[in-house]
Order: sequence, then structure tokens, then C-alpha cells
Amino acid sequence: MNEAKPFGGGVGASIARPDIREKLTGRARYIADLSRPDMLHAAIVQSPVAHARIKGYDTAAARAVPGVAAVLTGDDFPDGRMGAFIKDEHAIAKDKVRYLGEPVAVVAAESEGIARHAARLVEIDFEELPAVLTPEEALSEDSSVIHEGLEDYIKVFPAICKGNIASETEISEGDVATAWAECDVIVEDEYETASQAHLSIEPCGALAEIDEAGRVTLWSANQSVFRVQANVCESLLLPMSKLRCLTPKIGAGFGNKMEPHVQPLVVQLAIATGRPVKLILNRVEDFETVRHRHPFKIRCKTGAKKDGTLIAREVEVLLDGGAYGDDSPGVLGYSLLMARGPYRIPNARCHGKLVYTNKMRFGAFRGFGNPQVAFAGETQIDEIAEQLGIDPLELRRKNALQPGDRWFGGGEVASNGLAECAAQASRAANWGEAAKDRSDASIKHGRGVAFAAHISGLLGTGAIVRLLEDGSVVLNTGAVDIGQGSDTVLTQICASALKVPFEQIALASPDTDGSPYNWGTTASRVTYTTGRSVAAAAGKVEAAIKSHAGEILECAPHDLELREGGKVGVKGVPDKEVTFMEVSLRAHWAAGGPIVGSDTWVFNQPSVDPKRAIAKGLPFPQIGVYSFGCVIADVAVDTVTGKAEVNEAWSAMDVGRAINPASVEGQIEGGFVQGMGFALMEELVWDGPRLVNPSMMDYKAPTFRDTPYAFHSIIVEEHEPDGPFGAKGVGEIGLVPVPAAIANAIRDAVGIRPRKLPMTPERNLRSMLEAEDAA
Amino acid sequence: MSGLPVTLTVNGRERALDVPATQTLLETLRERLALTGAKRGCNQGVCGACTVMLDGKPVRGCLSLTANCDGAEITTVEGLAEGGALSGIQQAMADSNAVQCGFCTPGMLVSAFAFLREAEAPSVAEIQNALSGNLCRCSGYRKIIDAVRLAADRAARAAS
Amino acid sequence: MTASGSEVAFHRPSTVGEAVALLGGDDGAMCLAGGATLVAMMNAALVAPSGLVSLSAIESLRDAERLSDGSVRIGAMRRHRETAADALLEDGQCVLREAARQIANMPVRNMGTIGGSIAFFDPAADYPPALVAADAVVEISGPDGERAMPAAKFFVGWYETALAPGEIVTAVRLPPAPADSIGLFYKLARVSGDFATASVALVVAMDGQTVTYLAVAVGACGPTPVRLPEIEAELTGKALDDTGIDRLAVVLAEALDPIDDVRASADYRRLVAPRMVRRAITDAAARLGGAS
Repeated sequence: MNEAKPFGGGVGASIARPDIREKLTGRARYIADLSRPDMLHAAIVQSPVAHARIKGYDTAAARAVPGVAAVLTGDDFPDGRMGAFIKDEHAIAKDKVRYLGEPVAVVAAESEGIARHAARLVEIDFEELPAVLTPEEALSEDSSVIHEGLEDYIKVFPAICKGNIASETEISEGDVATAWAECDVIVEDEYETASQAHLSIEPCGALAEIDEAGRVTLWSANQSVFRVQANVCESLLLPMSKLRCLTPKIGAGFGNKMEPHVQPLVVQLAIATGRPVKLILNRVEDFETVRHRHPFKIRCKTGAKKDGTLIAREVEVLLDGGAYGDDSPGVLGYSLLMARGPYRIPNARCHGKLVYTNKMRFGAFRGFGNPQVAFAGETQIDEIAEQLGIDPLELRRKNALQPGDRWFGGGEVASNGLAECAAQASRAANWGEAAKDRSDASIKHGRGVAFAAHISGLLGTGAIVRLLEDGSVVLNTGAVDIGQGSDTVLTQICASALKVPFEQIALASPDTDGSPYNWGTTASRVTYTTGRSVAAAAGKVEAAIKSHAGEILECAPHDLELREGGKVGVKGVPDKEVTFMEVSLRAHWAAGGPIVGSDTWVFNQPSVDPKRAIAKGLPFPQIGVYSFGCVIADVAVDTVTGKAEVNEAWSAMDVGRAINPASVEGQIEGGFVQGMGFALMEELVWDGPRLVNPSMMDYKAPTFRDTPYAFHSIIVEEHEPDGPFGAKGVGEIGLVPVPAAIANAIRDAVGIRPRKLPMTPERNLRSMLEAEDAA
Repeated sequence: MSGLPVTLTVNGRERALDVPATQTLLETLRERLALTGAKRGCNQGVCGACTVMLDGKPVRGCLSLTANCDGAEITTVEGLAEGGALSGIQQAMADSNAVQCGFCTPGMLVSAFAFLREAEAPSVAEIQNALSGNLCRCSGYRKIIDAVRLAADRAARAAS
Repeated sequence: MTASGSEVAFHRPSTVGEAVALLGGDDGAMCLAGGATLVAMMNAALVAPSGLVSLSAIESLRDAERLSDGSVRIGAMRRHRETAADALLEDGQCVLREAARQIANMPVRNMGTIGGSIAFFDPAADYPPALVAADAVVEISGPDGERAMPAAKFFVGWYETALAPGEIVTAVRLPPAPADSIGLFYKLARVSGDFATASVALVVAMDGQTVTYLAVAVGACGPTPVRLPEIEAELTGKALDDTGIDRLAVVLAEALDPIDDVRASADYRRLVAPRMVRRAITDAAARLGGAS
């Protein structure tokens, strides 16, 4: 039957993704491409006001439009609340709206055109309330309260909340208050970062279908079928057994498809109408209602001795959380955990607050608070270096976290490739070379460096590996591939663990019915956490195979070894072997039962050691393993316009082990460009409560012509002892140090010190002219 | 359903349709002809995910009114492979690991395919110029440029 | 995407006369040129025409030709891609080619037309300052017949042209530029393909160090392109020096009337436009070999 093929496509191979042909021929099916018989199309009605009580609805005109099947308002939705950390959010606005653009009603009709037309006819009676538009307003004693029920909301962590403050967190080690006295140089400043839009080319959408038993199947643009299930069931008060969540192909996420969008709306419409309902947001709606990167205000203070030893750091942050919390407490906590940076700074205090405002919700975005604090922290390292006359890369190396050191708060760091990243980036970039030599009268060149650390986390995951009758393998992990390549990597891990060719493994699509729980594709976690489960489950399959083979070959299982191509044989005896098929047939028909290996686990290393550090209001007690990196940017600044562009860049990232090197490069390259956009041009802009640029015409991200081809990804492999084949994640870290590296390069080029992102031509030119005037 | 009669040749096949005046080519392709390769990313002509070829030139499907395309030859991503064989640029994208989420890929392939038909030994700058109307948020662009160079290179070697 | 309701009429006339008649017959009808702007606005539900008059079948609008007096006439339906490669444009007329080249991106340049673009008149678009610097004339056809006017008079205000209801742009006509003149179009934008934050269109000729011809228009910094023939005349016939360049830049800057928008603030535009003017002139002078 099936001849065992030679082994190929395991760990270390830059093998093509299994769905490559589908994607290349236009046959991959994303949420907007799906359709079900007798399907309705839905559209949202958005609030025109930022903060108001809802007094009533008039849906008569909308209902009267021919082709309209249902119009649901907040009154038609159950009272459940969802939220990753604080359960503060209904499926749709109920009784109150909290941001301009918030969905307040939803229409299902025979076509999208009819639904949108009818949606425009829904009228709502609002009693407006004063809107809270800035974090400072939110903090003030007499500001309007956005969540009156905050005290009573369920919280999954020891949240410190009051008024409009959703969370307060603090982590400190050593004694910052007295440490300043030991410092010869202290830098203190304030920084601000803007909100960045994910701008996945695919907007969000969902499709729900109800069966005769009242059970709903839901497809949606998502990063976790399990999070979707939890959010929908919590907000609609549905037992989880009543909802099955599946995934279509995903057109990228970067974080905001991890969080609920229109899924509860289509489910409720499917229940109400009895028909399948599909809702795809248009780009404007996607900008206005799906979550974006938190704007941060940061006060950062760093102190060092004149020999360059870093002594103390204090960071205070204020996050604009928007109208609902979702991942925001996590972003606050994580940013503080990362704010000390990958350095041995014995005294550090990082603290901050997250507030609600009447703006659209902010949420998870690649980096999760780290890029924001890294911008402040890594530019301050440069300022210290400059004041002390020490090379900025040298200063970093001198203070870098060493193998064996613990992270801020006491978390264990089992593998640390930071020194190697710095060495390789510096060598590849020829760091000592002065970029200034390339400057001319109007274009100035400069170079900058930044270090980064990030985690691969956290929470629960699992894997099931089964042998089919012919020895083929089925792998089921529940992990959603959002384009980053986890399907490929997990299959490669399984392939290497069992020594079977990649093509001999089928990968099951995530299904809340059939897949083991997977928290989600986020926190750079899938390769590390799910990969570990895959390796462990494969290990159990290996044990079962050897047990059967031992019976067949009449020897002890420990005398057996797996051989490439799906075989198992006696060590040292080449012709004593059996195929996986023979083993599997025996298991199916004769003894033991079909071979299944399964593994589940929850990340369990504590983030903070209470003997070393004080932590208050920490949203995650167990976060993840650590990765490190170094980015060097070579930048040109046009002194006529102030516009900065990246000429060339080097990014060295410690990934433990590159399971699929080309995919790792893809993450490093994509992370760099997204970081470059955040650094130089991307900014969501508000005029009062209204988002001014919710369109691709008005919100700009880098194109081919704005991106340097001369970009060099450098993979560093510092074996992570607990990682599958030594691997840890890379999804986010590539973005983290980029804004700081570019800011430091701009400083080198034209002598200005940006403290606000993005570093637009206008901001740069003004700083340059102010510096000229001052001189 | 009443509408304007339009005849299009789509991926080599003649299709006679009745369409409302305001239906875009993107809608016609996706909803009437089940060719869902071209995507709606912004519906404003900025992202490029809807790019298809009209009489040999890449255009925005979302900004083309089908009623205005009567008699035109349309090529979508579904029409790039010949028989079962991937076109040069499709194969090169696979070999260069230039596809991540794949949502921009259909439009990207159409733009690149059209460009490669007229380009000889294209430089990086020329490739960037040809594709600057196709946004990719995943890849950082580098591997896509490598794929276009690889396809151009292979085509040149096959021709010689 | 349509609201459910009445059907939109669609016409595809083959002559300008027919097109004008069709527009005259329906107040809510709009011209469909390349579609790049109109269809985007329809998709966003910003306009809802009752009828569409497509100009794509009118052959006379697609031609470009050199006239007996050396002018170049470009038909309204010429695509940006065609104008960007138009070999008929010579000397300083190349300012138009340079502008067309920088519009948006390839697929949009395959669709958008010069007539459609200027009839809509987004003040941040690239053609308007180039046409004003090139002393172009806009040819118009309407219910009362044909007329023509200088581009500087055609662009009246924010998204407003001199077109009367029922009129269409049929062509632009560029007079011959002075021999050995060059045309430059400098565009500052947030990213490649964006509308301009500020733009400078320049046509200049020099004899050694002396300016023999000068036309400068600033775009995207006010309701219409800004060009000051008086200051151009002041500098013509003289040696080009820093003082003259500064004076040009400052006077133009004072005449700007920019707004704050998502691309930049008005203040920044006032700041950067004169700097771009200085750069354009200095670069041009260097190219012409007459730098001081």
C-alpha cells in the first residue's frame, strides 16, 4: 500500500506551508469567501455619540425594508459580560454607549446592500453624557464615570480599580528611592506613543449557522477558536456545549483577531432568525470598532555610574484603554514587566495605570506594550551613553542580562542569546562605521541600535497525535495559523519527533468540538507552548509504537529506535524492523487499541518571585520563557522636509531553534516593517471623540517603496531547554526594538531626540529647527 | 433579475451576465462568478487585494464597474496557472517563502504577473515601483521581491 | 454597493455631443471617467448618482497629439500611465509627465484619467500644480458649446472648478515650453502613492547663470495651486542667486493658504513648501549647469 517515504521536512527545513497552493491559486477560503445555503447578510448600526444612555430605539423603518429578516438592538441581547481580565463588555451596547462608532444594533437581510441600507434607517434616542476623551480627564475626580458597575464586574486577577481606573500595576526590585544618590548621571523624560492600527489586509467578519437541535456553528476571523467560544458564550449566556467554533483561513491578525468583534452578533442573529448569518465589516467599520494599539504616556528615568554601570530605572505609564478593557490589563502589566529592559539594573520600579476613556477599545497588538516602553527605555540608554561618552552598543553589552540572571521580578531565564545577537548584528552591520560619512548637504545619515527581550508564553495548550491504520499521522492542536506559519512548524515538530516525512502528517483544523484547548495564537506562544505539547504527545505515540514493536520483534521497548520514514527497529540490527503501518494495524485489530498520544499543559513558571520583588495588581502570575534580540538601523533624514527613511537594517533575534528558518525570517522581516511604520508614520488620530482617519486613504502604512530591500535577518539559536527541539517564539520580538533603533539613528544623523511616536517629518523638522535656533 | 447585459471573457471563458450599473467588477467576480481569489480589503482602491487584469493591465476590481467593462478580457489569480501547472511567479513565490497569511497574494500575483510580462532583468527599484500598489502587512516585502527576481531569472534562463 | 431602491441608469456614448446631451437630461447623472475616484466614493456611500455616463467609448478623448503650433493636446480620457510615458511632452512640458509618474501606483495609473482627475479637483492631486506651472489650457465642452480657459482659472477652490453643470473636460493643451527648459515635480507624501502633503511644480530655463524662464506652482497647500507670475517676472532675466531664491520661496509661502488635515498641519506646510521650492530651483539650476 503506502511505501514508507524517505524522511524530509522536519525541524530546520524551510519547507513550504501545506496550504501554499491554495493561497497561490486564490482557492484559500477566508471568512468573506464562505457561504451557507439560505444565508442572510448582516450589517452593524454604529453609535454617533461617544458617551450616552440609550433611552430607546426606533427600528420600524428598518424592519419595513423589503428583504430585512431581523433587526436586533441591545434589548434583544442577553445580559452576559465578557472580558479577558475584567468582564466589562456586553455583546453589543446595552443601556449605554461608551465610544463613538460602538455597535448599537444589527440588521440581517437578504443581501449586504439591503442590510446596510436598512441599518442607516435605525434611530436611537440617546441621552448624552459628558465624554471622557483623554487619560488625564479619566483620572480626574469629577470626570464622568464610564463603567458605573466596575466594582461588581468579575475580575480574573487581583485588579486595583476605581472610578475610571481599570487597573493599577506595580513591580519593583531593589530600592529605587535611595539608588538615585549613587548615580553620576540621571536622565528623566516623558514620552508618548500613538495608537497604531493592525491593518491586516483582511477586515474582521463572522458567519454563524444554527442547526435543528439549536446548536450553533460559528466561523470567524480569529486567532483562537477557544477564545471566540468563551467570549460568545459568556456574553450570550450560552452553555459552551451549544457553540462549535471553527476557523476559515485567516488574513493575518497581529492581535486584534484574538479579541471579540462581531461574533456574538452573528450568533444572536442566527438564533433569532433560524438562518445562517454572515457579517463582514468594511474597512471603516474595522478601523472604528476593532481594537488597536494602546497609546502610552511614559515617564522614564534611568541612572548610571560614570563608568556606564546602570544603577536604577523608574518607569511610570498611563494607558488609554478605551471603552472596554479586554486585554488591556495584560498590556499594562506586561509593559511594566518589560520596562526595565534586558539589563542588570538592580533597582527598578515600574508602575502605571490603565484608564477607561470614551474612545474605541484598545487591545492586543504585536508587542503588547513592550514596543512602547522599549521606545522610552532604549532611547534613554542612548542618552546615558552619549552623556558618558561611551559607545551605545558597548554600554548595552556592559549591562546586558547574562545567562543565569533572572528577569525583572525574579522570573527564570533559561536561555539567553542576547550577547550573540549583539555580536552578530554588530558584525554584520560593521557597527563602528560612521554613517555620517555618507551625509551630504541635505540628506544626513545615522545609525542606531536597540536591544529587546520578549516572552513566549503562556496559559494552556494541548496536542493529540494519532496513527491511522496505514501508519499515517493525524495531528490536532487547536492552534490557529493566522499566516505566521504555525501549521507548518507544528507539523515539522511532529515529523521530526516521529521521524516521518512531513507529507505523511495530516493536520486537523481547529475545532472546539474536536481539538484540545489552545488559548490562542498570541504572545509568540504557539511554537513554544503548543510545540512542546506536540513533541510530548508524539513522545507518547513513540512509546506506544515501541511497545507494540517490542511485542512483534520480541525485544524490550528500550532496545528499539525510530527510523526515518515511519519505521521502528532494533538498535544496531538494521534488518530487524517493522513499519508504522504494521504496528498500527496490530493496534487497531489485535491488541492495545488505536494509538493515540495526547498531552496538555499550562505554563507554570511564576513571573515574579515574592522574595525578590514586589508586585501589585499583576494580571498574569505565569508569563513565559524569554527571547532576546538586537536591531541596528541605518537611517537617512532629509533636512529639507524632516522625513526619515530607513536605508538598511539588521535584526538579530534569539529564537532558541529555528524550526522553519524561512518562516522565522518572515516574522523578523514583517515585524521590522510593522515596527518601522509605528516608528515613522502610523498614527490613529482623534478629533474629540471621532476617529479622523478610519480608512486606508487616510491612515498610511509602509508600501514596497517605503521599505528598504537591504534588510538582514539574523537567526541566533540559543537552545531553550524546555522548548520543542530548543525553540521559542519570534512572532513579536522583531517589532519591539525597532522604533528605538530608528530614533537613536535619527539622533545620530541630525542631533534631535524624538520623544513622540510616530517620528513624522513635521515633528522631526520642528525639532531640527528648534535645535538650530538654540545653537 | 434585470440589469445591463455585459459580456466578459474571464480567465479565457466567455461569460454573459446582467449586472446593475453600480456593481463593481470585484462584486461580480466574487458573488456572481464564485471567483473569490480577488479580495475586498478596503473597497477604495488603496490596498490592492482586489487587483485583477483588464485587457492585460492590472486594475482595481473594487473601482471598476462591470457595466463599463463590456467586451473586456479579465484575468484573475485563478487564471494564472495553466492546466495544473503554476505560473512562474506563483512557483517562485512558493520557493521564496513569500506567502504568509495569503490575503494580499492574489492581487500581488496579478500585479507581478503583468509586470514580468514586460520586464527584463528588473531591478529591485523597478519591482518596488511595479508593486507599490499592493500592500502586504505580513511579509515586510523582501521575500516577495526575491520571488519576482527569481521568476524573472528563471524566465530569462528558459528563454536562452 | 447600492441601497435597495431605484436602478441607476448607465450610458456609454461614443461622442462628446451625446455625452453632454445625456448629462443634460438627468440632473443626478455623473460622468464616469477612470472610476478611481467616483467608484471609491460610491463604494463609501458618499455619492449616489441616478445615472452614469461613461466616457470610455469616446475615441476622440483618448488621443494625444502635437498641434501645428507645437502645443501638445492630451485627451481627457488619457490614463495617467499614458501621460507618464508620453514622448510628445518635451522640455519643460515634462513637468506633467513627472507629476503623472508619481500619482498613486501602477494599477490606479492604469485606470485614472487626466480629465477625471482635474474635473474632480482634489487640491492635493498632482496634475493641478503641474498644469498651472505649464501654462496649460483646459478645453471644455458643454450644452452651450465649447470653450477653453487657462488651468489657473479652471481650478477655482476646494474641490471646485469652473465647470458649469452639464460640462465636461475634453482635453488639456500645453503650449510649447521654451527650448532647453526643464520641468521638475517634487512631491512630499507620507508614503509612496499618497496624495501630496506639499508639492512643487517647476518649469525653468537658464542661459548660463541667468534665468530666462521661470514658472513655479505650489500644490496641496491651499484651495488652488499657488503661482505668482509677478515674482517670476522679477527673477527672470537676472542671475540666479541665494537672495533671489529666498525671495521666491518666502513670497510663495506667504501666499499659501493651507489647512490642517490628516497628512500634515497648515503650519508644517507653510514651513516645508518654501524649503521645497528652494530645493527644486537649486537642483534645477545645478542640472542646467548654471548654479551659483
